[in-house]
Amino acid sequence: MRNFLLRYLIPRLGQYFMVIFLGVTLTFIIPRLSPNDPVERQINQMTMSGAHVNPEAVMHLREALTEMYGLRGSPFQQYLAYWGRLLRGDLGPSLSTFPTPVMDLIAGALPWTIGLLLTAVLISWFVGNLFGALASYYPDNPLMRLIDVASQAVRPIPYYVMALVMLILFAYIVPIFPFSGAYPVGTRVQLTPQFILTVLKHSALPALSLVVIGMGSWFIGMKSLTSNIISEDYVVYAENAGLSERKILFSYIIRNALLPQITGLALQLGLIFNGALIMEVVFGYPGMGMLTLQAVMANDYSLIMGIAIFSIIGVATSVLILDLIYPLFDPRVRHQ
Amino acid sequence: MALLSVQNLRAYYRTEVYGISRIVRAVDGVSLELQRNEIYGLAGESSCGKTTLIKVISGTIKPPLRVEEGKVHYQFGSFEIDMLHISPEDLRRNVRWKEISYIMQGSMSVLNPVRRVITTFYDIVTTHQGYTDRKAFLGQVRAHISKLGLPPDVLNLYPHQLSGGMRQRVAIALATIFQPSLIIADEPTTALDVVVQRGVLQMLKEIQAESNNTVLLVTHDLAVHANVADRVAIMYAGRIVEEAPTSLIFNAPRHPYTQHLIRSLPMIGDRSSRASLPGAPPNLANPPGGCRFHPRCPHVMDICRVEVPEMMTLPGNQRVACHLLAEGRR
Repeated sequence: MRNFLLRYLIPRLGQYFMVIFLGVTLTFIIPRLSPNDPVERQINQMTMSGAHVNPEAVMHLREALTEMYGLRGSPFQQYLAYWGRLLRGDLGPSLSTFPTPVMDLIAGALPWTIGLLLTAVLISWFVGNLFGALASYYPDNPLMRLIDVASQAVRPIPYYVMALVMLILFAYIVPIFPFSGAYPVGTRVQLTPQFILTVLKHSALPALSLVVIGMGSWFIGMKSLTSNIISEDYVVYAENAGLSERKILFSYIIRNALLPQITGLALQLGLIFNGALIMEVVFGYPGMGMLTLQAVMANDYSLIMGIAIFSIIGVATSVLILDLIYPLFDPRVRHQ
Repeated sequence: MALLSVQNLRAYYRTEVYGISRIVRAVDGVSLELQRNEIYGLAGESSCGKTTLIKVISGTIKPPLRVEEGKVHYQFGSFEIDMLHISPEDLRRNVRWKEISYIMQGSMSVLNPVRRVITTFYDIVTTHQGYTDRKAFLGQVRAHISKLGLPPDVLNLYPHQLSGGMRQRVAIALATIFQPSLIIADEPTTALDVVVQRGVLQMLKEIQAESNNTVLLVTHDLAVHANVADRVAIMYAGRIVEEAPTSLIFNAPRHPYTQHLIRSLPMIGDRSSRASLPGAPPNLANPPGGCRFHPRCPHVMDICRVEVPEMMTLPGNQRVACHLLAEGRR
């Protein structure tokens, strides 16, 4: 245990914080390399509205904005101040919807994104892998053949086409699901059963579109992984030993074929914080993807940085957790 | 009554790729009998049909392998089965591992890499014996492996933590836990160095001596047969050419192929170089007619090219398939 701490866990944690440190530093530097000056842009917007502003007031405004945007002092001082605020959980005010804090904007979008994407990713992972293994183990089963053909057909379709087709089909031609949004406009967000039901109804179609696309790629990956495992000596031995089909399928084939898929799942879960831009645009879903789009469109540096930091931490954390728990799935991997 | 009798067995691989069908006659007219309480060695060079024969005998036939003709009949203590017509479920429930165990080629990798050895034992024991309580199960497995001279610690290890020889022993221990009537071992020692090989063979011999069951030992290594087997059969190009008690086959081989094989073995103290047989074993997709050995046989006669030699039984329980014997020239 002591060895594990000293030789593995502490270096690995150091690596984790290093990744986050580098990521945050890069997100700090990159917007500052852009020729756009957010303070000047804000002043331009105000003066462009036509009103006469006296130059002294502009000076004061410039001072005030520089202060509020955290742009006072040399870049290095700004950098230190930035870290100081970040460690207190303060990502600063959003520039486009000033003075709403970036944290509040993200807090408003994140639950929607996590709720929808987590569900969709997990469902497509489970279903795709299960069917992928079954399709490889029972290649003559008509249902498995159908799923196989369907996955092959769905995979090359670009997601935005697929999503639009589903939207037109199930919200317009056959109006089963609502057109857009996460809940009807004007409803208050609250935790009543009725509200939850509306939310589920609104998210069903976006989730379905993500599951269909996601499942297809898990299915195809798992099918080829499984077809390799099926001819492994330990599977043939288990068959010769007369173990039941179910035991062989789950404990011998799927259990081994799943190992690379677990890594894939962890990476996808980390990327959830980015949201799903196309899905959110097509379905008008108020998640992190929409927020990113808004931020980019409005040159909202602090919001872009805030989202990027969440994404960096999300991916780094999920990979860290994966590394720590992977020996539970594959005993051949041991922390030295 | 023999434990296993195989009669005139023909098993071919039939494949069809892009409309071109191809038949590989891997086993073509094999007859043999395995008695109770013996170690029967099956020898032959690579791709002569040894493994195919075992697959049919052990009932693990999968397409494109098909049995075209012949009988595979078992007589166990209380019941008999026809291996070619038994239902897969019946085979799985009543025969596999209880009566016939198959230690397959490449036994080094027969253990599931993500399961501890004890869990693999658990899978097999619960499958064939129903659920036993944990304590009884552990007792049964510990007693079994300690009898085979394996340390009890191996049970809690994963396969990658075991050496190759140890994995091989574990595979044998797994295959013998129910004391089956027939243990089929396909190249059990091929990937091991001689020291480990000796240990593994010793273990197989001890198991056989203790439970008086039958071992079908398949290997191309004649030295192994000389050490372990009671009777040895030599296969060439899908057929058995000679079968005899071990000492007879090594001291008085009758078939020209066997004679070459035995003569090619190194002897201690003999430094003369060994003659190698001209030519190569035939392609089983297109084997020569008549006796399959005739293109390489130094004593070839006209009849050898046309007629398949019948298996003849000689005194001393030696069986040879060669026209020379019928001609009385040998």
